[in-house]
Amino acid sequence: MKHARVLFNGSELDVTVEDSFAETGLLKSKTDGQLINETDVTWLSPIKEPGTIFALGLNYADHAAELAFEPPKEPLVFLKGANTLTGHKQNAYRPDNIKFQHYECELVAVIGKEGKNIAREDAMDYIAGYTVCNDFAIRDYLENYYRPNLRVKSRDSLCPIGPWLIDKDDVGDISNLKLTTHVNGELTQEGTTADIIFDVPFLVEYLSKIMTLKPGDMIATGTPKGLKDMQPGDTVVCEIEKVGALVTNIVSEQEFYGDKY
Amino acid sequence: MSNNPIVKGKLVCVALNDSEQFNAMQAEFAEAPYKGAPTQPVLYFKPHNTWSTDGAVVEWADGADSMVVGASLAVVFGKECCRVSQAEALDYVEGYTLVHDFSLVEQNYYRPDIKGKCLDTSAPIGAAVVAVEDPQALTVVTSVNGTVVNETPVSQLVRGVAELISTISYIMTLQPGDVIAVGFPGQRAPVAKGDKVCSVIAGVTELNNTLGE
Repeated sequence: MKHARVLFNGSELDVTVEDSFAETGLLKSKTDGQLINETDVTWLSPIKEPGTIFALGLNYADHAAELAFEPPKEPLVFLKGANTLTGHKQNAYRPDNIKFQHYECELVAVIGKEGKNIAREDAMDYIAGYTVCNDFAIRDYLENYYRPNLRVKSRDSLCPIGPWLIDKDDVGDISNLKLTTHVNGELTQEGTTADIIFDVPFLVEYLSKIMTLKPGDMIATGTPKGLKDMQPGDTVVCEIEKVGALVTNIVSEQEFYGDKY
Repeated sequence: MSNNPIVKGKLVCVALNDSEQFNAMQAEFAEAPYKGAPTQPVLYFKPHNTWSTDGAVVEWADGADSMVVGASLAVVFGKECCRVSQAEALDYVEGYTLVHDFSLVEQNYYRPDIKGKCLDTSAPIGAAVVAVEDPQALTVVTSVNGTVVNETPVSQLVRGVAELISTISYIMTLQPGDVIAVGFPGQRAPVAKGDKVCSVIAGVTELNNTLGE
């Protein structure tokens, strides 16, 4: 089953995604079973109470090579603030006066059960399901302190996530899922989770050795090669086979912040 | 989600903000992997599994030989704070409190220190949130088992409270219940199992914790 959260008539609503969604655009309210059309909602992040957002750097061998880095011997993990999250078909902004902002299409594993010191072979028991995120980066802001630093990776709106959370069992094996990114309809990034260096069971074991993982925590597992600069007006679609396709519109900093600009 | 009544959303900590440490490290900053001193505040999150309270027993890190503690003045936001100037920054603050950052020894600052900084219960926050006229005039004093180990005037920080609020508010919108720990002493104090750690801001609040066994 696919679970989403939307704004409908001014209220947040938990919905499921109908099997016919691709043809009908229908969502079903978890509150009263009402069928709602996608055109009448604003998509929100599918994770109601986001916990810790872990993200992986350089976790695809081909991407590490693209950035001229040796593949890491240990996971390069960084944390993101929940202020970065926004829903499907929402705006993300390009900061003023920068040269290079790129998307990163990533498979996200969402924790469903609390655990510490979880063994690799038990790791999947702690996963609720999966979603897609677009973990944007602004390379101009990189500095060699806690790199990738928060100025690069914890900006408002720059981690769109969704459209939905799909139950783990509906996806099954995640070890060879195709990832693609399209910008304005053009294919710009293509890869497969088969190229992931540290896979989800490894990361659950690794992180839970350090700290307790809790429901709502998320692990964004990194992105394959294929970087491209983004500009206001661009539409980016990050898609992962069997999981979903996440659409984001790029706007200027001024358009995004409006009166607060 | 929160194990602490004060912090509700995010706890942002500022590293390398003690001017004594910052000045002493200039030669190191010039070398690899840093290749230049930081031009921006050096920030890290303490995630929600780390949050704990005044009086809490802080877990000893599994298998660790040593741990350290630093205390910081912490800003608690009372209203949404997005892209504010230094001049108006303090208007968004509900009050001030203390954060203890228990961690493994800081080896370097190149990569996010998940192993060192994300330990369960390692970020007690409290005890009280108190309104203060001038946070720059405060001093944080930390004792371990009754002996003073650090005394850090907020005025000694490279970047002050208003500047940090302004800069961070242009990166991420801060929400009521978000907390910024503005700066820790460069020399973190070593602690041992069972130690009692007490930090005080005179006339404001006090934070007491004990290391687990």
